[in-house]
Amino acid sequence: MDDVNIECKPGKIFGLLGLNGAGKTTLMRLLSTVLKPTSGTAKVNGFDILTDSQKVKASIGFLSSDTALYPRLTAEETVTYFARLNGIEEEIIQKRLENIFKIFDMENFRDRRVDKLSSGMKQKVSLARTIIHDPEVLILDEPTLGLDVITSRNIIQFIRRAKEENKCVLFSTHIMHEAEKLCDEIAIIHKGRILAVGTLGELQNRARLKDLDEVFVKLVGSLNEF
Amino acid sequence: MNFKKIKIIYFKEMKDILRDRRTLISMLLVPILLFPILMFGMTSLSMMMAKKTGERVNPLVIIGGEEAPSIFSILKENKSFEIVQEKDYSAALKDKRITAALEFSKDFERKISAGDSAQVKIYFDKAEIQSDMASDRLGNILKTFQDSVVTERLKDRNVDRSLLHPVRIKMENLASKEKMGGFFLSMFLPYMIMIMALTGAMYPAIDLTAGEKERGTLETLLVSPASRGEISSGKFLAVFTASLVTAIVSTVSMVISAGTSFAKFKEAGEVSKEAILSISPLSILVLFLLIIPYCCLASSILLSLSLFAKSYKEAQSYISPLLIIIIMPAMASFLPGLELSVGMAFIPIINISLALKQILLGTYNWGYIGLIFLSTALYAGLAIFITRQLFEKEQVLFRT
Repeated sequence: MDDVNIECKPGKIFGLLGLNGAGKTTLMRLLSTVLKPTSGTAKVNGFDILTDSQKVKASIGFLSSDTALYPRLTAEETVTYFARLNGIEEEIIQKRLENIFKIFDMENFRDRRVDKLSSGMKQKVSLARTIIHDPEVLILDEPTLGLDVITSRNIIQFIRRAKEENKCVLFSTHIMHEAEKLCDEIAIIHKGRILAVGTLGELQNRARLKDLDEVFVKLVGSLNEF
Repeated sequence: MNFKKIKIIYFKEMKDILRDRRTLISMLLVPILLFPILMFGMTSLSMMMAKKTGERVNPLVIIGGEEAPSIFSILKENKSFEIVQEKDYSAALKDKRITAALEFSKDFERKISAGDSAQVKIYFDKAEIQSDMASDRLGNILKTFQDSVVTERLKDRNVDRSLLHPVRIKMENLASKEKMGGFFLSMFLPYMIMIMALTGAMYPAIDLTAGEKERGTLETLLVSPASRGEISSGKFLAVFTASLVTAIVSTVSMVISAGTSFAKFKEAGEVSKEAILSISPLSILVLFLLIIPYCCLASSILLSLSLFAKSYKEAQSYISPLLIIIIMPAMASFLPGLELSVGMAFIPIINISLALKQILLGTYNWGYIGLIFLSTALYAGLAIFITRQLFEKEQVLFRT
């Protein structure tokens, strides 16, 4: 990553758009304190990622294609485990569990082991795991990657709901129409650098193109010509 | 570091590994079944062998039998030998058609009757146990014959037999019963318990590190508010538990099965009725005391190696050489001449192996025991520190 400067506000969905290997995952891992930056810093929910990593981790719900679930735990055990690690009290865990299982329609498989679940069910458990501690910030790294249409739609709905709840959502994708549909602001990232930041309209105006696809290709392409 | 979080991680990891069939097999099933099967197998086999060799008839070729008619008739009546005819005794011995051959020199018996000496040769194959045993038996028969000749000759000359045996040697075994009973266990148990403690911890260690990387669950855990220190502590404690449980189960299983097979030997009269296999509660207690730092050491080495690996398979390939590195020094308990010394007390693995051997023989050298406990605890502490540092390294956690 080099010279990245972005801001993502509560109640907004911020999209990171880039090719595979552009640096989306690295940026998100830095923000979640899993990786440490060689220089520079960032604040998440007001906490510095270098000095307050525990508080940062407690403020975020992190979901990526790399955050898999323990196959030998049941759905409920999984969510409870991460709730406890977040230091939530047992009573509150129980209440939230019931609530989340109802919203995601997970009642019928809550006691089934994760390795016996379909990929759609697993994704629901992952989402439940991500939000059990009611985080202020959601960092979602390609959350729809490799999922079927229905599961993807569930995730899109989930992101919209989070926005309504005034959460700050940082979300990465390489699927243009997802970004178009969802994001309030989009950053185009390429080879570790941010090429452009703005609302969809701003980006379209700047590139004088209508389609986000073409905006993206123009920005990335112009860089590749050098 | 928050102990509550370590506890949460520990209990989750324990639940996880107890649901893993591989861990259950290596932690409980193998130690419970291995020792009884091993002991039972060894006991039955050695009894069967002893019985078989006792009953076996050895085909024997006698060359020049007519020169020694009295020995010939003794052998003819002996049930464990069968005199056969073979032209080429050397080839017959090679093909195992006979177990030995006797060759009497010319005028054997006549020379002996005349008060002279004569030669008899035993041909056998030292590399064949049957042949070796037959030659022993033949030697004994010939010695008895020689004895009777000597007695006869002395009698003719009116000399007392005691002239030939001025020194009477009598041997008495003063080893305590505990020492006799512990002798066998003192060789095997230290070695076995150290290997078992390692294998019992192996799968959990791989599963909780390289396995997590492979399944993609490590990152899920790293983005949770548990610190690296809490994660490594929880995982270490879980692996250590598996190691210690395996060691305890192995010890109990081995002591019980050794006791059972010992009783069987006694019934069969292979050991004297007075011998008891007794292991004092104190020796078991000290044994567990010493095994605790060893399990810590083994667990953290296993954790470090498998944390570095990218996958289950890679971790296994790192651990196989480690097994050999530990198996060789653990065999110290088998070496009869090797005794503890101050220098020895600082050599990891060997020190525990030798100390456990002493303890099982009923010798408690508290100075050494304390020194070995401390030095092993020191190594374990160092290994835990390294494991802890590895958990901080991005290059290790996200090795691709």
